[in-house]
Amino acid sequence: MDNIEWKCNKCDKPLKPRSTVFEYMGRSFSHEVLVCPGCGKVFIPQSLAEGRMAEVEEALEDK
Amino acid sequence: MQIEEFTDFTDACFNGESASCSCACPFKLDVRSFTEKCQKGRWSSAWKNYRNAVIFPEIVSALCPAPCREHCQRASLGGAVDIPALERAAIEYSGAKKAEHYNIPPKEHSVAVVGAGPAGLSAALNLAQKRYKVTVFDKAPGWGGSLRSHADFARFDEDIALQFAAVEAEFRFNTEISSPSQLSSYDAVYIATGEGGIDFEGEKFFRGGQLTGMSLMEGIAVGAEVSKLVETYLMTGRAGPVENVSYAFCDRTVEHEDTLPEAEIEVRDEESARAEAARCMKCDCDSCMRSCEVLAHFRKKPRSMAREAFSDSQANPPIATQSLVRETYSCTNCGHCRSVCPEKVDVGAMLMLSRANRFEKGTAPAAFHDYWLREMDFSCGEASAFLPPPGSDACKYAFFPGCRLGMDNVGHLKKAYDCLTRSCDGGVGLMLGCCGAPALWAGDMSRLENNFSAIREAWERMGSPTLVFACATCSNMFEEYLPEIKRISLYELMEKASLPRSSSSYPAAVVFDPCSAREDDAMRRSVRALAAQAGSKLKEAEHGCRCCGYGGHIQVPNPSLFEKISSSRAEENAEPYIVYCANCREVFLSRGKECSHILDLYFGPGEDTPTLQKKRENALRLKKELLKEIWNMDFTPESRPWDGVELIIPPEIQASMEKSLISADDIRETLWRAEQSGDKLTGGGYSLASLRKNAATYWVQYSGEGGVYQVAAAYSHRMKWRE
Repeated sequence: MDNIEWKCNKCDKPLKPRSTVFEYMGRSFSHEVLVCPGCGKVFIPQSLAEGRMAEVEEALEDK
Repeated sequence: MQIEEFTDFTDACFNGESASCSCACPFKLDVRSFTEKCQKGRWSSAWKNYRNAVIFPEIVSALCPAPCREHCQRASLGGAVDIPALERAAIEYSGAKKAEHYNIPPKEHSVAVVGAGPAGLSAALNLAQKRYKVTVFDKAPGWGGSLRSHADFARFDEDIALQFAAVEAEFRFNTEISSPSQLSSYDAVYIATGEGGIDFEGEKFFRGGQLTGMSLMEGIAVGAEVSKLVETYLMTGRAGPVENVSYAFCDRTVEHEDTLPEAEIEVRDEESARAEAARCMKCDCDSCMRSCEVLAHFRKKPRSMAREAFSDSQANPPIATQSLVRETYSCTNCGHCRSVCPEKVDVGAMLMLSRANRFEKGTAPAAFHDYWLREMDFSCGEASAFLPPPGSDACKYAFFPGCRLGMDNVGHLKKAYDCLTRSCDGGVGLMLGCCGAPALWAGDMSRLENNFSAIREAWERMGSPTLVFACATCSNMFEEYLPEIKRISLYELMEKASLPRSSSSYPAAVVFDPCSAREDDAMRRSVRALAAQAGSKLKEAEHGCRCCGYGGHIQVPNPSLFEKISSSRAEENAEPYIVYCANCREVFLSRGKECSHILDLYFGPGEDTPTLQKKRENALRLKKELLKEIWNMDFTPESRPWDGVELIIPPEIQASMEKSLISADDIRETLWRAEQSGDKLTGGGYSLASLRKNAATYWVQYSGEGGVYQVAAAYSHRMKWRE
C-alpha cells in the first residue's frame, strides 16, 4: 500500500504532502500527510494508522 | 464527586499497614523494617530503629514480654521469629551509640514530671527532646523507680544516662511531692508515681504509667503520646487524658501462599542473627496485587488507586490530565480482587464507578467501548424479542439466553429452548436481548437503566415469570439491577430433564467456571452434574472462577493484557475445558485450547467461533427461525443499501479485522459509500475508501467491481483529521 502512488479519484490529481490538523481526546496537533491538492482528501496508510498514530492515540487517551 | 465515594471502596484495605507483630507491640516497632535491617547486617540502623520506638533499648530488650512473638505469623510456619534475640543483637552489634539530638529552639513552658521511673523518664525525655523546660522529681536518690532494685539496674542506669545525654532536663531526687502547691510554678505536670502513688486533680495534671494501670512497657510506650498531649494543652489550654496503648489488628493475618515452614535459628552470633531476621516474612497483605493480573501489571495499590480515581474525576482535560485511564479500562470486573481480600475490598467496583463518572463527564475514550455499545444496541433492538408462549399472555418461566449464546450457535439455543418448553410446566416465554453488561463496563449507566426498564416492562407484561439464564453474567446483572425477578439457570432445569448426552464429551476435563458464576453455587453445581452425566471425569481448575480475559471489555484499551490473561487461563490446566459462558469458549478457542460449551455435550459438537459479522447474522437468523417455528410470525431484518455488496476477505485480513473489532458490515458500508460517491483514492489497480463512523475511521483497500470486491487491506484509527 505504501508503494502505491495514490491519486484522488474525483479530482484525478496525485496526492501531495501537506500539514494537516489531527484531533483526538480534545487535543489537536499538525502532521504532514499525503492529501489531494484539489479537494483535500486525506490518505492515511495502514502503517501510519497502526503504528505512530496508534501510539499517539494511546498517549492521548492516557492523559 | 466526593473523595469518599472512591475511598469508601478501599478504606478497609490494610496493605502497607502494620503487621500483626507490630500491632501487638506496645511500642509499635516497625518489625518489617527492623528485621530487614538486621537481615542486611545494618546493625546501627536497626538499633536506631529500635531505640526510636522503645526509648530505652536496654530496659525494653531485657523486660518486654515480647507479645510480638505470640502474634508472629511464622508461628505456624516453623516457629515465631525471635524478635527479642534480634533486639539484643542490634544492641550488641551496632557501633557507637549516640543519644537523639534535635536541633530545635528551646521553648518557654516548663513541665514537671513526678516520678523518675521508666514511665516518667520516657515522658520527660520526649518533652526534653521538644526543648520544654523539664524537671523530674523523685523521692528516691536517683532515677529508675521500680527498676532500681533489678539485678541489671547498672545496665539500665547506663541506658537512661545515654538517652538523656543530648537533652537538658533537671532531676530533683530525694524530693517528695506531696502537694500540688509544690508544682504551682509549672505550666503542666505529668504524674507517673507508680502503682498506688500520689496523684493530683486539675487541668494541667496528666497521669500515666503503672499509676493508671499500665504495664511497665506501656508506661514507657506512652511517653511520646504524653509529650504530644502536654504540648496540645500548652498550646490550646485543653487536652484529653493519656490513653493506653491500643492493640487493634494484632490478630489480623495475611495469606502466605506457597510459603514453606522454616525452623527457628538459635541466635548465637551475628551470622545466625541475620539468618533469623531473614525468617521474618515481612507480613503485608498483597493478596489482590499478587493474584490479579491487572493490579500486578500496573503495580498499583488499591488505596492509591481510589485516590487517583478521585483525582481523575476532578481533572478537566485537556487543561488538566488524568492518571488512571489505562488502569480503569483494563479491569475485567471479575470480582477476583474482592474474593481474595480478607476485608472484601472491591477494586473492580471502584473502577466501574470511575468508568461511569468518566462516561458522564465525557472524558471516557469513546473508542474503548464503542463497538460493544453498538453490539448491545443491536441485541436490544433489531435482534431482540420478548414473547410469552404461543397462545397465552403470561408464563411461569421465560428464557433469557443472553446475547452471545445464540450468536455462537443458533441450533443449540433452539434446542435449549425446546428442552425448556418440554420440561417446564406453565409455559416458557422468550426474552432475546442483552443484560446490559456492555453498558456497565463502558460506564454508560443511562443506557443500562433504559435497557432494564424495557426488560422490566416486558417481564411484567409476561406475568412476571421466573427467568431462566444460560449466562452467569446476565444472571448476575439481573440480581444486581432487577433483584425482584426470580432466577434459575438453564443448566439446573436441564439437569432435571435427564437429556440424552451427545457423543462429544471428553473422557477427562476441567469445568472452567466463568468469573460471573463465583457466587452462583447452584449454576456451578448443575454444570458439574451435567458434565459428569455426559461422561466426563471432572477435575477442578487450579484456580476457580477466574476471568478468561473477556470481562470488562478490555480488549481494545489493553490488547496485550487481554492476550496475557487469556493465554494464561488457557494454559492453567492441561485438560480440555468444559465452559458455560459463550465468551469463555470464544476466548479459549482463539488460544487453541480444546474446549466445549456444556450445551455441546448434549446438543452436538459446537461450531467454530463465528466472525463478528456472522454473529450478527446468527442473532437475526435465530430470531427469524424461532418466531416462525414457535409463533408462526414473520420477521424480516432491516435492509441496508450496502447489503448486496459481496466481499472476498482473505483469512489473514479477516483475522486482523476480528482482532481490531472491524466487522465486514463496517467495511461493506465504507466501500459502498465510496463507490456511490466516487470519493476515494485510486492507484495500482486498487481503490481506497475511508469512512468516519462513530469513534473510528475505517479504511478499506479493494479491487473489483459490479458488487463483488476483493479486500486487500482493512484497518481503522481513532484520531480524526480536521476537514
